Amino acid sequence: MSLSKRCIRVVILIMTLISVFCNCSVALASELPYDTYNYNFFEYIVYTPAAYVPSGSISGTQLTYEGIPLGVFSNPQDICKTPAGEVVIADTGNNRIIFLNKDMTKVIKVIKDFDNNGETDTFSSPYGVCVSKKNELYVADTYNNRVVVLDSDNNLIKIIRDPKSEVLEEGYVFTPLKVTVDYADRVYCIAQNMFEGIMVFEDDDKFVGFIGTIEVQISLWDKFWKRIATKEERSNQRLFIPTEFTGIDIDDDGFVYASNIDETGTQAIRRLNPKGEDVIKKGENENLGGDLWTEGFTNYAGPSQITDVVYRQKGMYSLLDRKRGRIFTYDHEGNLLYIFGGLGTQKGTFVTPVAIENIGNTIIVLDAYRAEILIFTETQYGSLINKAVALRYDGDETEAVELWEKVLTLDENNELAYVGIGKAYLTSGDYVKAMDYLKRGMSSEFYSIAFRRYRNEVLKENMSSFLTGGVILLIVLVIGNSIYRKKKGIRKKEGLLNG
Amino acid sequence: MDKHFSIQKLKYVFYTVSHPVDGYYWIRHADKGSVPIAIILVVLFSFSFSYNRLSASFVVNEIDPRTVDSLSELGGVLLLYALLCISNWSVTCLMQGEGRLKDIAIAIGYSMVPLIISFNLATVVSLFIADGEEAFYYLILTVGIAYALIMMLLGIMQVHNYSLAKTLATLFLTLIAAFIILFISLLIVDLINKVYNYFHSIYIEIIFRM
Repeated sequence: MSLSKRCIRVVILIMTLISVFCNCSVALASELPYDTYNYNFFEYIVYTPAAYVPSGSISGTQLTYEGIPLGVFSNPQDICKTPAGEVVIADTGNNRIIFLNKDMTKVIKVIKDFDNNGETDTFSSPYGVCVSKKNELYVADTYNNRVVVLDSDNNLIKIIRDPKSEVLEEGYVFTPLKVTVDYADRVYCIAQNMFEGIMVFEDDDKFVGFIGTIEVQISLWDKFWKRIATKEERSNQRLFIPTEFTGIDIDDDGFVYASNIDETGTQAIRRLNPKGEDVIKKGENENLGGDLWTEGFTNYAGPSQITDVVYRQKGMYSLLDRKRGRIFTYDHEGNLLYIFGGLGTQKGTFVTPVAIENIGNTIIVLDAYRAEILIFTETQYGSLINKAVALRYDGDETEAVELWEKVLTLDENNELAYVGIGKAYLTSGDYVKAMDYLKRGMSSEFYSIAFRRYRNEVLKENMSSFLTGGVILLIVLVIGNSIYRKKKGIRKKEGLLNG
Repeated sequence: MDKHFSIQKLKYVFYTVSHPVDGYYWIRHADKGSVPIAIILVVLFSFSFSYNRLSASFVVNEIDPRTVDSLSELGGVLLLYALLCISNWSVTCLMQGEGRLKDIAIAIGYSMVPLIISFNLATVVSLFIADGEEAFYYLILTVGIAYALIMMLLGIMQVHNYSLAKTLATLFLTLIAAFIILFISLLIVDLINKVYNYFHSIYIEIIFRM
């Protein structure tokens, strides 16, 4: 009796233990509504800790303005931030612009109309907003075919409309979608059906030209088919037109970051200098298109469709993918730092992500269908990487070592961390350790530098023994050869005598 | 045993490498070669190839070590070897070639020696080179492959007693023959599969009716 009781007790104990452990692992796996991963040197998917975790969402129903509920957003299309860190939302379907405070808990102001030379004027589906350094609000007033510029007290400064130029077709209708402005008040505008590039306006609303035209790549095979096709067939074929830009942002130096939907999935982001040349740096795998593994025939397969970009700080920028709802963050060298986010209906996932912005240590994403702003807060892992990359951008590689080492304790597959530590050892002259770390980081370029210096060091230290060894070997060979020949000669003579 | 693995036969491998024309001539006419040694050389080449892909320094080698499977590569190399020998033999039989199947096997097998040496040497050298010095690595590989190709050509020329032009023509025909063999074997595999499926479905039908 006592034995069976003890047996039962043991069984219960084991089962509780199992259930405790099981609960643990299940809880861990279900904490996040999305996968967080990265690609290693061999372009394998490596799962990483989460760099950002969802920490809430803001919808119009949560907010009140002057005592009146704000009401749900309707198909909001853009968000941006002011120099003071306030968040501006283009509530496109409701034809209004909403200013929220930094924590997105209070409404600062709502702009529904403005005074246009004595008359009250309103917006019609504003698709894009931007606030300049001078706190001037730029609104892409899409269906009114104009860009409206207001100062911080809602006074009209200027209206950009009807661009006139030789390069524009006769009867061209200007339909701005996204707008941004640099420190010199140059206005960059993405317009609907404008495949030539980003439209630039200077000197008080004068259209000066395009920048960043995406060149069309026509393969030899396509050219061959074009050649043999008849005129009728040709008119039925797909036109080779460049893709339109989807999102736009600007960094402190006035470089324009513009995203586009790339069908090949190789480059979805351009960094345009004031001349309009693409000066973005690509990483080891020459890819700036989001996901690398995109095979398949389902709706979920295919290259990432980058719909917006945000320049963050110290050369880092994040891309928003509407195909799989992922957010890709790259550093100034084009290395993919971390990936998070996903589609779905759970908290922290998207249905139709349209715009991304970076406020302090959070990333906020606007979802047009859910009419919500989703907030993601950085984890320890994400903040370590952000800080280390910022230090590297400033050239303080040695200071970043401590951070990279902490990153390695959280994620020992992080190749960037190995390279970061390896480079620091390289500058401090510890070549053996540098080689070890750089090899783990698969950085053939810096590994080679370390290896070459190490090789020189070894050669320099052992030069005398190498030379001595060589001389001795030479002498031994010469003597051995002569002895061998003598013996052989004798044998030959013997053979001759015997034969 | 002695017939295949005597010291003289082993030494003769290296004599053939250094004197291909002469070496292959006596392989054909004085049975100086050995088929087992030739097969062992092919196996060694397969392992050297896998070892190179696996262990060459990452400065020159972008292959993921997890994708290297030396046994499946061995199977592939042996199959290719057999295919080349048989298709060459079946072509040269019809074109007044003097070589027997075993001479062809030896001719191709012995020409693996420069490949074995160069692949292993290149792997070792790759561990001592840095970025920008890859040329040494690729030089060693190229020299090895070129020497092996020349040896193979001379070998087939000698064992069949062909002129160079005729050798090249038969090599071209050998390629076509290889494709035909592949095609027919695929057909056969498919046919056997169909027959098997036919009887299998009859069996299942009977089982269900019983």
